[in-house]
Amino acid sequence: MVRRIVHARVGAHPSADDLVQETLTRVLAASATIEPGMLEPYAIVTARNVVASMWRDADRKRRNQHRVLDLSTPDAPETQIVQGEEQSAMATALARLSERERRTLLDHEVAGTDTRTLAEREGSSAGAVAAQLNRTRARLRVEYLLALEQVQPPTERCRPVLIALSSGDQRRQREVHAAQHLLECDPCARLSRPLLERGQQRDDTLRIPVTGDPDIVAARVAARELAARLRFGTSDLTLIATAVSEVCRNIVRFAGSGEVVVELLETPRRGIRVVARDGGPGIPDVERALDDGFSTYGGLGLGLPGARRLMDEFAIVSEAGHGTTVTMTKWERTNDG
Amino acid sequence: MNGGPALVSILRQGSNLIASVHTALDDSQLVRFEHDLVEQIGEHRSQGVIIDVAALDVIDSFAALTLRRIAEMARLSGARTVIVGIPPDVAFTMARLGMGTAEVPTALDLEEGLRLLAEHATGSHPTHSPSGAEPDW
Repeated sequence: MVRRIVHARVGAHPSADDLVQETLTRVLAASATIEPGMLEPYAIVTARNVVASMWRDADRKRRNQHRVLDLSTPDAPETQIVQGEEQSAMATALARLSERERRTLLDHEVAGTDTRTLAEREGSSAGAVAAQLNRTRARLRVEYLLALEQVQPPTERCRPVLIALSSGDQRRQREVHAAQHLLECDPCARLSRPLLERGQQRDDTLRIPVTGDPDIVAARVAARELAARLRFGTSDLTLIATAVSEVCRNIVRFAGSGEVVVELLETPRRGIRVVARDGGPGIPDVERALDDGFSTYGGLGLGLPGARRLMDEFAIVSEAGHGTTVTMTKWERTNDG
Repeated sequence: MNGGPALVSILRQGSNLIASVHTALDDSQLVRFEHDLVEQIGEHRSQGVIIDVAALDVIDSFAALTLRRIAEMARLSGARTVIVGIPPDVAFTMARLGMGTAEVPTALDLEEGLRLLAEHATGSHPTHSPSGAEPDW
């Protein structure tokens, strides 16, 4: 079994057999302290850790090759403690899954049962089982992080948000207002980092935290650079940068902090979408805020209505106490421009 | 201003001040620029002020407001302000935004701006300006 896990992860790597041996040694050494039912999960986790630390060492060696000093010798006792913590966190995380989830996951990952066989047993389809496995893995990642960091999620919104982020399901993330929650909940903001890093970084999306005046310039410069990859003329680039500038200013003025996400779109047409989001007090009267000349800080009152005029599409959602989200899009012009 | 390369330079030329913005400015930098410039106008008893904004990446509502406010404060101190160097794409955006420089006169570049100030200094009551705008100073 252990051999299968290791092979599944490293293939025919020359050190595969060494890894299997090491895993078994560790599992045997620890077997006395493990509850009977937990031996299998423990073995999986150990195998994963062994494999992961091999990659980590290999990676570190590669990165440090150019250095004269050999920094690759890990601090042995410390590493072991860390690994021990990781293992118990994984055991806790597995224990938090439902019996059925855990069984399906283990049968698939450990025993190597394919999804079709599992589907027959459960009386469903292979696709449904695969989807369920994905959800289980997403939950497992979240529970593992919570156990490892020893964090109790402060609100009941936290878990659904983290799981949605972990699964990479954008529709679900919108349903649970994930981005909004991360602005409001510090533990989740911290925990979500490894979950978000896991998803491959797309180079057509930019996320710019906005906490002060300098970020207004940073955000509009970044948005302009990203937009310049499409066929926008100079005037359109300036329009986009100006609109970003206006919505960022609102974040700094009214919420103190938030974020701007700039994303290139391919469908239905090529364009750029800007989402400016904050967890601030919200706008009491959105209609009025969109009126020309309505300003609460002695400005021109052209921020939001101006940004709306500059972009092709503009939507604003604001909820008292839960902040404001402005979504605006500019489409690439097909004929001129 | 606060270390690093200067974001803005303010030079004195005769009775005029020439303020050149060298890079994109954020809101607090704009406000500091406003203070510095207004202070120098008073200090040098300037009669004319030229603000060269060619290097500003955007003139959004706040930048436009700040420029207007500088011009208004300069006017109260007896100086005339001309804004020069608004790039065409920025001008286009300002028009779309629905804002402008109000009654603050503008000129294509520094040279035009200086000519505008000189014309005003010689003829005490100019009836027109080269840009065709109707300055109400």
